Amino acid sequence: MLPALIATGAWGFVTGIALVKSGLSETAATLMTVMVYSGTAQLTALPLIISGAPLWLIFAAAVVVNIRFIIFGAALYPYFRYMRWQRRLLLSYFTSDIVFAVFIPRYVDSRKKGTRDQLWFYLGGIIPVWLVWEVFSLLGIYMGSFVPASWSLDFAAILAILAIIIPLVRTRPMLVSLLVAGFVAWVGQPLPLRLGLAAAVVAGIVTGVVAERWNGRRAEHG
Amino acid sequence: MAEGLGSDLYILGVIVALTVSSFLTRACYFMFGGRLPLSEPTRRALRYAPTAALMGIVVPELLPWEPGVGPVLDIRLIAGIAGVLLFLRTGSSVLLIVGGMVVLWGLQAWM
Repeated sequence: MLPALIATGAWGFVTGIALVKSGLSETAATLMTVMVYSGTAQLTALPLIISGAPLWLIFAAAVVVNIRFIIFGAALYPYFRYMRWQRRLLLSYFTSDIVFAVFIPRYVDSRKKGTRDQLWFYLGGIIPVWLVWEVFSLLGIYMGSFVPASWSLDFAAILAILAIIIPLVRTRPMLVSLLVAGFVAWVGQPLPLRLGLAAAVVAGIVTGVVAERWNGRRAEHG
Repeated sequence: MAEGLGSDLYILGVIVALTVSSFLTRACYFMFGGRLPLSEPTRRALRYAPTAALMGIVVPELLPWEPGVGPVLDIRLIAGIAGVLLFLRTGSSVLLIVGGMVVLWGLQAWM
């Protein structure tokens, strides 16, 4: 959990700074951080805001960046399906990349989905991550100007995410999936609306499944 | 950006647009998962989603493409590799982060 919190804090802080630097008032930046709670969508929107892009385009860009939340929701639903819809709706607001990345590998193979354990583990992720994100975003919004850009604090977030990714790579299909996702993310950078991110997720899933089958077949034939 | 009421309304519109987008994408499966059933193999395939999404966030920061130039090599890649090697050696995520930052600052000062 520690790298998850470091990643969230550093990422939140630099997002807060970026919001104010691009001309948003402190009130608007605060409102956005609480309402949207998606650093990637917020950062994607910034250049569009600066260039005065139409609202529909900003909405479309955010949807494309957020497509992964639909995939996360599909994977998480079985664990919470027994709950009343109001509670599920509340939980859905807290969906985060980092908690998802810690939760799914732990419970994807459990036979029983929807146990108290799973719920507490999930809550133990999303609540601290939300608090750390909001606190550090606010620090970035209100105090960011005191931190020189040369400290490159955003890079601490990247390193912390690496610290989350590496321990998750435990099988060969996972490694192949990760390498292909990384490659697609690399060559997908010139794509508009951060489509490269969505493409990387899809490529990673497809490659993982193909590699799994291939791995299984090879094991069968000895 | 122009100051004033028009720009305030625009920013408010942006916040609403982003909020609706995040809300819809996050909530759709949590709310209607029962009516959008997924087969077990599909669900199992989603185990590859988290690492792929995190790679999608990390890779452009480590290996950026500059508009009009194409792929560029950045000292961030070296710092990232140094951090990963430290992690593989020690298993400490704190060392990965601290080591990577120290290498980045060192390279920044040196270049």
